[in-house]
Amino acid sequence: MTAFARCTAGAIAIVPTRRCAALSRRGHSAKFALAGPRVARSAQLRTCSVTAISVGDKVPGDIKFNYFDAEGNMQAVAVDDLTKGKKVVLIGVPGAFTPTCSLKHLPGFLEKADELKSKGVDTIACVAVNDAFVMDAWSKSVGTDDKIMMLADGSADFTKAIGVELDLSDKGLGIRSRRYAMLLEDGAVKELNLEEGGAFTVSSADEILSAL
Amino acid sequence: MAKEGSPLPQVELQEGAPDNNVKLTDIFKGKKGILFGVPGAFTPGCSKTHLPGYVNDYAKLSEAGAQVIVCVSVNDAFVMEAWGKQTGAEAKGIRMLADTHGELAKALGLELDMAKALGMNRMKRFSAVIEDNKIKSLNVEPDGKGTTCSLSNAIMSQLKA
Repeated sequence: MTAFARCTAGAIAIVPTRRCAALSRRGHSAKFALAGPRVARSAQLRTCSVTAISVGDKVPGDIKFNYFDAEGNMQAVAVDDLTKGKKVVLIGVPGAFTPTCSLKHLPGFLEKADELKSKGVDTIACVAVNDAFVMDAWSKSVGTDDKIMMLADGSADFTKAIGVELDLSDKGLGIRSRRYAMLLEDGAVKELNLEEGGAFTVSSADEILSAL
Repeated sequence: MAKEGSPLPQVELQEGAPDNNVKLTDIFKGKKGILFGVPGAFTPGCSKTHLPGYVNDYAKLSEAGAQVIVCVSVNDAFVMEAWGKQTGAEAKGIRMLADTHGELAKALGLELDMAKALGMNRMKRFSAVIEDNKIKSLNVEPDGKGTTCSLSNAIMSQLKA
């Protein structure tokens, strides 16, 4: 017995029903088009996601982000250079200038930035699927100063590579990132607090602080 | 590519929030106004020259016959709203519309390949006088990015014509 699993990117996979259930248990979920009356009753309509990065994995080192430096010049930085031999807190947000990101998530990290650094964090960086100009303007609007690096994942390369893309096309935003807070040590994921979508529950600064 | 005499495409853009859809043809129905497009909110040319020109000349343009002035870009509605606030455009009354999925850029034939620099394709810089949903005049920057023929001072005479 098979079900059609459609993932948010639009790809359709025909998977055995048992595999659907297995995928669901492991954190995948799929939008099932019921193929027949005997398709698994447990099929729930949720949005599909690919396997997200997990604790112990290394982030893809060669992907680059654009950002604006303190002098106002556009720079590019590879994930490797950002994370090698360092303790990094990476914050993922669905979008610059969006309500929760602007009013709660990013300001929370700004508030705890000094405390995070006192506990050994070398760099705090925020990633969104926006261009560098927008990230720079947003950082000025929130007032991050140079406490948080604002990294532009304009084409969602990094976001897709670590499997945390979020299809917000229905909401008028296109492909974005799920909200998350990640602790990296020498490029390896030590702690990952990943929200389902744009919810704000486990991905706060306090949660990351307790992991340090 | 759209040209003078073409009808305004019937696309829906977003304003203020991603779920707030507005039809461009509702805005320009029975009215004379200006529609201008930029490659990107918060980018240098757009922020330092193009948009400020329309903000500063708003009164003059209104006197010259513009009943509505609309700025569009391939950005999301939150970004457009923030940009409109930061530049004073919103306060002046310029409508900041998000061509979130690039539909207007495509419909006008004004897509600009900026995927490398900005992560997705954008819209060529242009300005147009729209009269009752018809493109009366259209000024597209030759390279899509420069700040010459699409500026507010250049469109003044087209409004009066």
